[in-house]
Amino acid sequence: MRTVTTARASTPPTAPTRERARRHIAGGPVERLTPYAYTAPFFLIFAVFGLFPLLFTFYVALFDWNPIGERTFIGTDNFARMLEDPRFWNATTNTVSIWLLSTVPQLAVALLLAHLLNHARLRFATFFRMSLLVPYITSVAATAIVFAQLFDRDFGLLNWLLGLVGVEPFDFVQSTWGSHVLIATMVAWRWFGYTTLLYLASLRAIPRAIYEASAIDGAGTWQQFRHITIPALRPVIIFTVVTSTIGGLQIFTEPLLISPSAPLTCGPIRQCQTLTLFLYEQGFGQFQFGYGAAIGVALFMIIIVIASINYLLSARIHGAHR
Amino acid sequence: METAQALTTALAGGKVPDLVLIQGDDLPKFVQQPQNFHDLRGFGAEGIKSDYLDWVISQSTTRNGEILGIPTDVGGMAVAYRTDLFAAAGLPTDREAVGQLWPTWDAFIETGTRYTAATGKAFVDNAATSVFYQAVNQGSQKYYDEAGNLVYDRNPQVKQAFDLALKTIRAGVTAKQSSFSTGWSAAMGQGQFAVLAAPSWMLNAIRMNAPDTNGKWDIATIPGGRGNWGGSYLAIPKRANNPQAAWNYIAETQSPTGQLEHFLVEGSLPTTPSVYQDPRLTSRQEPFFSNAPVGKIYTSSLLGLTPFYIGPDSSAIGQEFLNALTNVEQGAGDPDDAWEAALRNIKTAIGK
Repeated sequence: MRTVTTARASTPPTAPTRERARRHIAGGPVERLTPYAYTAPFFLIFAVFGLFPLLFTFYVALFDWNPIGERTFIGTDNFARMLEDPRFWNATTNTVSIWLLSTVPQLAVALLLAHLLNHARLRFATFFRMSLLVPYITSVAATAIVFAQLFDRDFGLLNWLLGLVGVEPFDFVQSTWGSHVLIATMVAWRWFGYTTLLYLASLRAIPRAIYEASAIDGAGTWQQFRHITIPALRPVIIFTVVTSTIGGLQIFTEPLLISPSAPLTCGPIRQCQTLTLFLYEQGFGQFQFGYGAAIGVALFMIIIVIASINYLLSARIHGAHR
Repeated sequence: METAQALTTALAGGKVPDLVLIQGDDLPKFVQQPQNFHDLRGFGAEGIKSDYLDWVISQSTTRNGEILGIPTDVGGMAVAYRTDLFAAAGLPTDREAVGQLWPTWDAFIETGTRYTAATGKAFVDNAATSVFYQAVNQGSQKYYDEAGNLVYDRNPQVKQAFDLALKTIRAGVTAKQSSFSTGWSAAMGQGQFAVLAAPSWMLNAIRMNAPDTNGKWDIATIPGGRGNWGGSYLAIPKRANNPQAAWNYIAETQSPTGQLEHFLVEGSLPTTPSVYQDPRLTSRQEPFFSNAPVGKIYTSSLLGLTPFYIGPDSSAIGQEFLNALTNVEQGAGDPDDAWEAALRNIKTAIGK
């Protein structure tokens, strides 16, 4: 789901060195082909498992496609049907809502935690840093079961605590916003440690001298955070925003698991059915591969649009070193 | 459900096994596409067809008479109840007497009202599964007519089952716990409800979810006396490598004696009526359920059933009805609009 890209473009070589480099590699045909051979495995695997399924989804979306029966070309009918399908818009709203609820607090908490863990006088720093990864390496299914129990209407810890202060038991799974909060909590719980470590790694790269100098100039913790930490973290913030957007818009396992009596719709009124779950319900529950593929294409478009907006917004974080 | 998805993927292009087990609810989707499976008549299924309950094997038989699957087990219907909780509520605890409390679903709801009035606790786990799903499976016609036309919106038996569930909800006797949810398991262990509809395969679920209630349960006949929910079939995919070996396995293990042996070991209910009178089946008792004679109880719920046609959209339709009822029971759903809401959702879901 997430990959880490650390390479950053270094300054372009000046013309004479570039000329020398070209002469150097322009040896025999073997030398010229070697770089392609090194990179070929990635592109081959990507073509088979990435590019082909993507293009094939666009193709399938144009058909009424029963995986074990007939397939008929119907052009854009699947898309027309989708735009009029209230279940599609419901799933879109749910997806965006769960994504916002899980991503925004998660990144904020991670940033804060990274700042705290970077403190020079922190004891047992390695212990705290490593324990952040525990939620990340716990299986999603186990997380879902535990959280579903914590948020349970009759036997959940949370409702028990609410009961102590006289609040009536609240049925999180059955309510729309309650189920969104529940799923968002699970997602944020799973990813915040990972994000914190990414931020922390970048923080460690900031020279201490800058902080010390600013402290001498009279900057407080907040000013340091705002004017040193955040600008220095800009590339990694952009990276986490984009990846958590891509991941957040494809949330699948958590909603599938919290409502066992109607798993594919995440509850009786599709209150937390996300787009990927709707796709799965149509494709593999109803065997309508064509319609499922059309939903997949729509999700692809939505992710591209939102990720681009994200990129543009986070690129505006000021003070970039360029 | 999961197995159906795995099977679909395999049939669509993956590696297929020689033998597949298909659940009854998923079966129609596969029967609609018979080209994916071997016609078992080619191996001699015609000769053993009469060993099985006719309405069960008819579900794996296509309109052209191809036999695509051999039934391995059926559900049968009954009600599991807590004898200790019934005693505390002043209700009879003997399974015969309990069965006589509810000859009809109305009497069942009536008993529930008595129980809740006496104890202040919920009577049944939920209305959607324990009332609607049972009652709708007891009819002579369900979501399709015999010719395969959709009648879910005008079949009075469906509407009646739906209204019974609404009546149960209105009576306030349900624990509002959806079957198989975590709350349902916990509530079962804690005795927060005293009754649940229990097709034969549910007995294992009760044993596993509430191990501490060993010996506190018993099994009585279901309101209406008969009915079936569930069951599985063995089929051989067309691209199987060893279809003959697969068939030999089916013929061996799914013979009447084979199914009887399986019942005695695993508890799955035979589909072969010739063993229903076998003393080993009729004398079978379940200690967890107060030594209830499960073989006798469940097989008698299966005899004399009228088969109804199950179509490709049956499970989607059933799920939408279930969802509409759950929404009234647990959510903010308006009971007066529930039926119309269910019909609307079904139309969106199946497109007709």
